[in-house]
Amino acid sequence: MPLFEVRGLTKRFLGVTAVDAVDVSIEAGELVGLIGPNGSGKTTLFNCVTGYLAPDAGRVLFHGRDVTGLAAHRIARLGVGRTFQLVSVFPRLSALENLLTFLQQHQEEHVLARLVRAPRVRRYEAAAVERALALLDSVGLAGRADDPAGSLSYGQRKLLAFAAALMPDPELVLLDEPASAVNPTMINQMKEQIRRLHRLGKAVLLVEHNMDVVMDISERVIVLDHGQKIAEGTPEAVRRDPQVIEAYFGR
Amino acid sequence: MRAVRWTVGAAFLVAVPWIVAAAVPGQQRYVLHVLIFTALYGALALSYDLIVGHVGSLSLAHPAFFGIGAYTAALLATEVGWPFAAALPAGIAMAGLVALAMGVPMFRLTEHSFAMGTLGFALVTQIVATNWVDFTRGPLCVTGIPKPQLGSLRIATLPAFYWMGLATVGGVGLLYHGLTTFRLGRAFHAVRDNETLASAASIHPLKYRMIAFVIGGAVAGGVGTLYVSYVGVLCPGELAVSLSVNLLVMIFLGGVGSLRGVLVGAAAFTALPEILRMAPTWRMVIYGLLLLIIVIRAPDGLEGVIRRRPSSSGA
Repeated sequence: MPLFEVRGLTKRFLGVTAVDAVDVSIEAGELVGLIGPNGSGKTTLFNCVTGYLAPDAGRVLFHGRDVTGLAAHRIARLGVGRTFQLVSVFPRLSALENLLTFLQQHQEEHVLARLVRAPRVRRYEAAAVERALALLDSVGLAGRADDPAGSLSYGQRKLLAFAAALMPDPELVLLDEPASAVNPTMINQMKEQIRRLHRLGKAVLLVEHNMDVVMDISERVIVLDHGQKIAEGTPEAVRRDPQVIEAYFGR
Repeated sequence: MRAVRWTVGAAFLVAVPWIVAAAVPGQQRYVLHVLIFTALYGALALSYDLIVGHVGSLSLAHPAFFGIGAYTAALLATEVGWPFAAALPAGIAMAGLVALAMGVPMFRLTEHSFAMGTLGFALVTQIVATNWVDFTRGPLCVTGIPKPQLGSLRIATLPAFYWMGLATVGGVGLLYHGLTTFRLGRAFHAVRDNETLASAASIHPLKYRMIAFVIGGAVAGGVGTLYVSYVGVLCPGELAVSLSVNLLVMIFLGGVGSLRGVLVGAAAFTALPEILRMAPTWRMVIYGLLLLIIVIRAPDGLEGVIRRRPSSSGA
């Protein structure tokens, strides 16, 4: 049974079919790239499978469990982490607090326990801080832990958002254009981070505009065009696929 | 060092009635009266800031919760003869339950529509209080509300009410601090700052908005109960929308989302109109001008001024 499966997913906006009966299947620990020209439905597909948009047809399964149409916070709680295309952090919270925010929901929280500062709560808080600092260190932001996230550079905020998505230790991470609009050094750093994630055994679905990045690190690539899946296979096979070449470069 | 400062500060606040008696013997009653109002306004502003400052929902329904708590306790005490120890929890619970029932439809609205929806609710509540004469006695007001009595402890004198107010603002302050820090506080702030990202962090935005709205409403009901037990009379005018305006002035000019800022704001904007009574004709003009000056000079409130001062003198 695949870890994550999308069957016949369809999403229409006012009669325009943005995603048209797309199937995606990801095994545990797999690194899959999702590419396609502008407007091919990549982000819409992402938003449908993470609960931000309700699909018009099709099924989304995680661990074989039907999660279609669940609210975003519930899908996140099941162990699906994601980042956003437009870099998204809590600008007024510190880098450390940004990460802590992502962890807290995984232990059921009791308002009363919180109010009396039960030792259990305090121990949990200490463990959370430790984990957050380790993650910040892994993306090279350990020195900025107490700075407001809004004061970080664009690339640093992308790394912070990436680290935040990993905070609850998700089994599947969906990355929406992690390398867009950042400088080449940062792109290399981001690639390294994604590879490291893959080595840790996480399944990754990577939406990316930058072909080099996708082709370089993905094990398997899925190509969307006009909402339909036009190709799927190894990076080499997809690169030579005539339909893909046509979609990207025209006839 | 911190503990010492806190102890000295607390001792000073508890000793205020005697200090006032020694410092301004002729004005003692008036000064204590203003201080009681300051404390109750402080507690009310904190409960309001939970909603406006921490989950970022501009609710204008606070006068309604304040009034529902006040009417519940006042009518139970005068009509049914409930003791204070039962009427206070009833006032808190009723305001909390109404907040729970109103929150569900209200939070379907966002931003401006949420503000308008809650404003409508506040207006309707006041109209009901005014016109349901058989139940609330309407403009005739509920009178003869008994002074609080807890066992053998009777709160009837001004110093006793001052200590009650102090205990209230202290208790609400602790609750506020407990709710707005650590995990729960971070969830509130995540929802306030970026709802989409909060969902990705598996935070359910509606759940946390409701927690803040219901607790804020319940506390407002409790403050309303204490308020009428002090004043002894409850009229529909107490539920006026202008109360929201006062609270907004306090939290925004004090320091939205900050315990100290909100308390400073509540103190400043309860005391200021009183101090300005020295110039009766120009009172509201000066008040308005001061508000304008603060808005222009300190857009992040008095809290911002307090926070900036040590760093600039150190540099």
